[in-house]
Amino acid sequence: MDRREFLKKGTTLLAGSVCAYNLPSLLATAGELSKPDKRSNLKWGMVIDLNRCLPDCDECVKACRKENNITLHGDKKRDVHLIRKVKIEREYPANSGEKSVLLLCNHCDNPPCVQACPVKATYKREDGIVVVDHHRCIGCRYCMISCPYNARYFNYRENSKWSNKNHPKSVHGVPESCDFCAHLLRQGKMPVCATTCEKIGSKAITFGNLNSPDSEISRLMANNTVKAIREDLGTKPKVYYIGL
Amino acid sequence: MIQKFETIEGRSIPFYLLVFGLAILALGGILSTYLLCKEGLYLTGMTTRIPWGLQIILAVFYVGLSAGSLVISSLYAIFGKIEYKPFARVTVFLSFLFLVAALLSIMSDWGRPLKIFEPFYHFNPISMFSINPFLYITYMIICIFYLLALFTEKEKLVKIIAPVAVIWAIGVHSGTGAIFGFSPRELYCSPLLPPSFIAAALSSGTGFMIIMILILFRWTKRPLENELVVRLGRLLAIFIMVVLYFMFIENTHRYYLTESREAARYFLFGGFHSLVFWVGMIIFGSIIPAVILFSKRGRSIPWLVFSATLVVFGVLCERYIIVIPGQTHPPCLFPNMKIISSLVEEGITTYSIGFYEVLQALGVFGIIGLVFVLGLKVLKFLPEKPNGKSKL
Repeated sequence: MDRREFLKKGTTLLAGSVCAYNLPSLLATAGELSKPDKRSNLKWGMVIDLNRCLPDCDECVKACRKENNITLHGDKKRDVHLIRKVKIEREYPANSGEKSVLLLCNHCDNPPCVQACPVKATYKREDGIVVVDHHRCIGCRYCMISCPYNARYFNYRENSKWSNKNHPKSVHGVPESCDFCAHLLRQGKMPVCATTCEKIGSKAITFGNLNSPDSEISRLMANNTVKAIREDLGTKPKVYYIGL
Repeated sequence: MIQKFETIEGRSIPFYLLVFGLAILALGGILSTYLLCKEGLYLTGMTTRIPWGLQIILAVFYVGLSAGSLVISSLYAIFGKIEYKPFARVTVFLSFLFLVAALLSIMSDWGRPLKIFEPFYHFNPISMFSINPFLYITYMIICIFYLLALFTEKEKLVKIIAPVAVIWAIGVHSGTGAIFGFSPRELYCSPLLPPSFIAAALSSGTGFMIIMILILFRWTKRPLENELVVRLGRLLAIFIMVVLYFMFIENTHRYYLTESREAARYFLFGGFHSLVFWVGMIIFGSIIPAVILFSKRGRSIPWLVFSATLVVFGVLCERYIIVIPGQTHPPCLFPNMKIISSLVEEGITTYSIGFYEVLQALGVFGIIGLVFVLGLKVLKFLPEKPNGKSKL
């Protein structure tokens, strides 16, 4: 085999292998994964009542981890937390007391992560949920750079735990964010954080259809002053807070 | 003026040692990327808060070198300075290779580097990160046609392709600047970033080409008129001033506005990156070389090389301070409130470069270095010597 032939065959082989590697994701895009949920009368949202959220309770955080097969590696810099609890304090007046706030993906109506994704792996479904198609994602992390809420995480390590066999565990190399437990919604169930909070009696997390005037979430929003985080950014978040 | 070109012989021991050294670096980079692909990116210095590290810094740096290298060839091809013709081929070749280096740096940084065709299947026209691969690939194709025109000595074709290549290079660098400039982070978001990226590209590209031309021509014992390089030095001095002007305007604007003052203060006086900015970029990377190049010393070759090296180093520092502080500075989630505890890093954070990232970076350098030296051996990039080929 002369040099020219070697180069020709080598290039063909390389191009062939790369195409073969990418073929499954190409086919997947033609399938269900890339299709948004067509139930357009739905607009999922969440209201978190900070007055009802117990300061030292993290049951929703634990339940989320278990449901979504998230492994903690004891690495604060890289561990994935689809929902996290932070304690905040007002600057003035001093010592005005701290508040616990649950932070998760805001499922913005103008999501900067969707705009940024170079391969449309992050997209917004018609029911308002922002999801990541892990089959298509290239792991460039531009969505993390673009999210003004630091709500995106990257799977730096392999998730070793697979506590919930009904839900796939993520591989390393792709970003992760809350998807309102889309797999449970498909079965007619609520996100696990909301059901857990209800189970322990706090009822701080209310999840529902923002488009329905009769839903509990709509009633809560009508009867209380609700705020979203950094609404001034124009992202139109769909996670609201009472008592922020 | 008829200018003939030739290959280098490439049979000397230093040449083989160079090839061997570059091959080792390339191999190290490939192995490191394989390991990161297999094990996960936790082996790097990147974190949840710092998702972009050394590879992105270098990718931006390489794009700059690529766009800047083309300036030298345009002196001949656009402005008709025939005396710069001997450098035309090699500068276009380097411009092409630097873009390859930028692409390699970006792809080796992906969580899934083998999904290289995905951005082409699923083009997102509103994503700056999606637009850039198209700019890069088309620019590489233009460079190949530009090289073909130069190799076949088709002057008319060169005159057509050269301006297209320069315009495209401006587009490539503006696109890269827009990746950061159009991001909703306080220290990224700036419409001035794309033009300031171009200024830094011209500056680093010219600086690097001064060094490369001197190394190539002196090492292969080719005649080189000092005056030509000295004139490039003058050009470099002007580019440095343009970079400084953009930096001044950008930071003054950020500091002047009350909403971004805190971020500007962090950028200018907030830690290690501030040291990189003031000492690395401003003092060593801009002021010292500008003073040298504008003075009589700027006519001396050793001082010129020293200044050019400082400028390239300065632009590398600039790339660091563009990419990293924008991430280490936290977004303000709760105005007028402070986060006192969290499961993750919430405030100002730090980034330290990981060992495997360094290996990857050296690997990219090794790959393009290898292609460059082997390219010199196979294709006629350098002008013919008056007294026959050298062994190198």
